[in-house]
Amino acid sequence: MLQNSYVSNPVISARRLLRSYGSTHALNGIDVDIAAGTAVAIMGPSGSGKSTLLHALAGIELPDSGTVTLNLPGQAPVEVDGLGDSARTKLRREAFGFVFQSGLLIPELTAEENVAMALMVNGVPRTAAIARAVEALQQLGLAGMEQRRIGQLSGGQQQRVAIARAQVTGASVVFADEPTGALDSVTGSEVLDILMQCTVGMGKSLVMVTHDRQVAQRCHRILTLQDGKITADDSVVQGPRS
Amino acid sequence: MNTLHMAWMLARPSSSGRIVQLLTVGAYTMVSAMVLIVLGGAWSFTKLEGDAQGFYIPLAAFALVLLVVPLLVLGSSAAKLSARAQDRALSSLRLLGATGLQVRAVAVIQAAATALVGAICGVVLYLALAPAVALVKFQGEAIGTAIFLPPLATAAAVLAVLLLSVVSALAGLRKLVITPLAVATRRSVPMPSWMRAVIAIGSIVVIYTLFSKVGLLPVGLGVLITIVISGFGVGLLALNLIGPWLVAKVGTAKLKKAESPEQLLAARMILESPGGAWRQVSGVAMAAFVAVIGGSGAAMFAFSENDVAGSWEMYLSADVLTGVLVTLSISLICVAISAAISQCAGTLDRQDLYLGLHRLGVDLGVVNKARVKSVMIPALTVAIGFTVASAALVLPFASLALLLKPLTVATVLVVLLAGLLVIRLSLNIADPRRLLADHSGR
Repeated sequence: MLQNSYVSNPVISARRLLRSYGSTHALNGIDVDIAAGTAVAIMGPSGSGKSTLLHALAGIELPDSGTVTLNLPGQAPVEVDGLGDSARTKLRREAFGFVFQSGLLIPELTAEENVAMALMVNGVPRTAAIARAVEALQQLGLAGMEQRRIGQLSGGQQQRVAIARAQVTGASVVFADEPTGALDSVTGSEVLDILMQCTVGMGKSLVMVTHDRQVAQRCHRILTLQDGKITADDSVVQGPRS
Repeated sequence: MNTLHMAWMLARPSSSGRIVQLLTVGAYTMVSAMVLIVLGGAWSFTKLEGDAQGFYIPLAAFALVLLVVPLLVLGSSAAKLSARAQDRALSSLRLLGATGLQVRAVAVIQAAATALVGAICGVVLYLALAPAVALVKFQGEAIGTAIFLPPLATAAAVLAVLLLSVVSALAGLRKLVITPLAVATRRSVPMPSWMRAVIAIGSIVVIYTLFSKVGLLPVGLGVLITIVISGFGVGLLALNLIGPWLVAKVGTAKLKKAESPEQLLAARMILESPGGAWRQVSGVAMAAFVAVIGGSGAAMFAFSENDVAGSWEMYLSADVLTGVLVTLSISLICVAISAAISQCAGTLDRQDLYLGLHRLGVDLGVVNKARVKSVMIPALTVAIGFTVASAALVLPFASLALLLKPLTVATVLVVLLAGLLVIRLSLNIADPRRLLADHSGR
């Protein structure tokens, strides 16, 4: 059983992560590093701890024990597990981007406002935030749809908006949880292309939970989890196609 | 599996569903208790002596008419909350092949059962509050046991609440029966037309003109009171027409000026449904209307009370003021409760989105501020707008009242402000930081 997965120059380092829900060990002593500028897929059967690992690395959930350290370039290392809820919330909105399966877009807002919101919660004035949001949406092929409400966009377009929101803040690490899980294969492939371009294609790190082997093959590394442990850490030969 | 069996199975909710069910029962409890207290108060006037009765009962009827709107909004909030609690389960039933009739029957049985439990609790609450309400004085004496309604009237009120729940459940589920996926469809709401404002302002001008000439008409007191009450009724309809337009205008202005995330979100929440935002706070408009008209009336009666010493009319000023304050308080309490219920339902309904946004790094405090603003902006707009509009409607009386009895006018306005504060405080119950605390991570 592979228990650690170290790399040099990691942007995130996790050591001895333990997390239990009752008698179930979602994380059972995991050590893992995420190298800067790489794409890492996390695979495994349902209940293997994939999402729990992603949540622990992103500071969404605290492990029962173990450490998660964030090493952003030019900044002092941050012990994520030592931060309180509000500090972790601040860290997530400033340092990370997220793309979830459901998109998590606010239905009352337009596409550009959803993207701008990520900047506005970080204190960017509305006019500047909207300008950057429009630019990000146009780069992702959504020109002319900036003022549409979320209900007026297709599933693939909604995920593009979510990707624009994840990258507009300039986050160094993007976490994605089944980002193409709710899309048909063609749309899913297009969304994945865009996600790769916006993350590793721009020197950022991507940590992605997926059930889909073909999606995982697009990353540099594939971590396979079983019962809260890393059972395989494979490098993908051809590397990511961004 | 028969319909009753399905209704019984769906009545056992998850933990978050249990909160919604408790809220729904609580909402129906408040609706029933408020209806019974209001009817009990009106009923107590039937025990007054002949001449006083002839004056007090039409006034009580007027107060009842004014309270119908906030009570209906409260009842509708409770019914919607009940329907929301069933939405997903009923949608699944429909997808599993249950017929439209079966889905309707399950919805009605569940809504009626919840409303019945709430209404019974409401009767208990009414009986518990009655001793306190009985201390309120009219004609120089406490209401006393006259607050208790006859059993038949109490049963009729309970039945009315049940009927309201059934009608609301059926209306809410109409779309669901047509298509199982309808609940997930979000359509754009058209903006209220400016024509509403034109019609409403035109109606107010006509009423104002009519009122200024009404004293010259050769009719008896009864007809005069009927004309005045009808005029106010039309005035209220006009206000109801202008309300959504006014809320939409303010929402648009707030959207243009929004700089912070909560301001942007709040403005968009208002513009999502200006009609809904208006209905939520329409009770405040009624309260502002009662405050200005009733407050001016109480002040005017006080001015003439020296002439009627020794008769039932000597209590008129104090009693009108009491009536105004009671109507005002009940109206604002209804708004506070219905706003709190709707906001709770909204927060629970969107818990996946809010928790997801929290994961993204959005502080739930931002979401909470937006929700509070989305209620308080329309509430304050309506309170200020309708106080000014009502004062304009009875300008000579209002200005005279302000000059002659500033304390009476001040008392009424303080209660109005206190009511707005209660509405603001009631929204704390729907704070997602508290309501979703168990799910927002460690």
